[in-house]
Amino acid sequence: MPLSGRQQTRIWNGLQVVLILLFTLIMLVPIVWIALAAFKQHVDVYQLKLFFAPTLENFRTVFEEPYSLGRKLRNSTVVATATVLVAIPIATLAAYAFSRFDMRGRTLLLVLILATQFVPAVVIVLPFFVMFRDLGLLDTLRGLVLINTAIVMPFAIWMIKGFIDGIPIDTEEAALVDGSSRIQVIRNIVLPMAAPGLVTASIFCFIIAWNEFLFALILTNRDAVTLPVGLALFKAEEGDLWNLLAAAGIIIMVPMFVLALIIRKHFVQGMTMGAVR
Amino acid sequence: MRDRYLKYLLVAPAVLVVFATAVWPLFESLRYSFYAGRLSRPDFPQAFLGAENYLWAVSEEPAFWNSVWVTFLFTIVTVALTTVLALTFALLLAPGGRFRVGIQALLILPFAMSPALIGVSFRFMFNPEFGLFDAFFGALMPGFADIAWLSDPVLAFWVVVIADVWGWIPFLTLVLIGGLASIPQETLEAGRVDGASGARILRDITLPQLKPVLAVVIILKAIFSLKTFDLVYMLTNGGPGNATQTLSHYVYFNGFKYSNIGYSAAVAWLLVIPMLLLTYAYTRLVFAREEQ
Repeated sequence: MPLSGRQQTRIWNGLQVVLILLFTLIMLVPIVWIALAAFKQHVDVYQLKLFFAPTLENFRTVFEEPYSLGRKLRNSTVVATATVLVAIPIATLAAYAFSRFDMRGRTLLLVLILATQFVPAVVIVLPFFVMFRDLGLLDTLRGLVLINTAIVMPFAIWMIKGFIDGIPIDTEEAALVDGSSRIQVIRNIVLPMAAPGLVTASIFCFIIAWNEFLFALILTNRDAVTLPVGLALFKAEEGDLWNLLAAAGIIIMVPMFVLALIIRKHFVQGMTMGAVR
Repeated sequence: MRDRYLKYLLVAPAVLVVFATAVWPLFESLRYSFYAGRLSRPDFPQAFLGAENYLWAVSEEPAFWNSVWVTFLFTIVTVALTTVLALTFALLLAPGGRFRVGIQALLILPFAMSPALIGVSFRFMFNPEFGLFDAFFGALMPGFADIAWLSDPVLAFWVVVIADVWGWIPFLTLVLIGGLASIPQETLEAGRVDGASGARILRDITLPQLKPVLAVVIILKAIFSLKTFDLVYMLTNGGPGNATQTLSHYVYFNGFKYSNIGYSAAVAWLLVIPMLLLTYAYTRLVFAREEQ
């Protein structure tokens, strides 16, 4: 029996929904799997039970010796926060200048800043390791803040520049004509209007610094270890301690999920630096 | 202060940070690559070797060529798979509506996950005794039960590919949805009025218009594939043997396990070269759009 056009459309739509759900399921399974394992007792991890007696034991254990995840949690929080506090003001000033002024080498500088995020981290880390060793910055939070400031800088400048580009220039010009200085204009007019953009860029940079792995792996070993590097601790003689790994995983990813959902409209823009609008 | 000076003052700190933390170390690495650089010794770097580190890598080290091959294959496969799957997903989700927009919001989650954690998660799922993937495959095809995925060189490579593609599809899907949304509705409407089928509209109107965004997606993914480190480190640590050792991992291994900074700097620079070409292509694309 031949199908009518309307029936065909309906079948096609149904098929699409099924495909979307399948895709989404595949996207969520690894996350859900970690979430389940985090609440399982050690014995249950090794079975594929969907229903089990949940426990909060793992979340207690990871904060105790020898894992002391609290220390790493503190380190990650300090590093990501300090990175944002250092990087965002610097990036904001530069973004304002790039957005509002014509200057020699402007395009070249913007390209250069954009390109730095593509330099492989393993190339950069070699001189940094030598320098940090000589300056006594190995295994310090200060060192990590320095590195992360460098990592987030191109993202921050491009993101904030995008927001400032979107602010109409008229109010600024009026204020300048009325005798305000450029600094006053930035402080009293631009900053308040760009505030949502600055918050978005701050959150974005916080996530990047929080998840940074390679530099923290190489430049820390005990005192300044961050959460992602701390994951490597849960390897025991008898193999990986999956329930503890999962609990640590939850602690790493859930705060970032919340932050990412807050700024989700700007996430894509931030990563592609205006290449896609 | 006058604007002509102020503007340079405003960009100075940022430019300083970028130079000190990206440009300087890049060239410092280039300098190391011409020296014998043993980290274990206090004087660093040691004797000048000229191009010897480079010659050693390309002529004496099968492990180097292995990691070049792994990285090349990994990049080709992940770029192709991620692009095709993300495009499919984007086309499915682009029409909008509450259901599809809700799913779009969920897509941000895998991207906010640290690649190191994605590595751990997939190591967990591909465990031969109690991994979810194994249970699924075992139920579907009993002959494939209890495969030690990560102990087999070929399978381990594909597990890394799957984990990487999984981590990147959501983000690139969102980028492509953005690209699809910017295609003018009139052109699509015109195609429909002319009675073109869905497949023809896709081939003759949507895809050609999406080309610039697709180019950005492909180059961006290629850049990040070439650099892959975190995922490999946590998932396989380059193993079994060096079956999944990417160039980044090889550089890390030589630099910090064998403390041979000079040699690893030379290999790192061999990785920088293709990266420069891709970065050039990417910036050209971005600025072509900027100037429009």
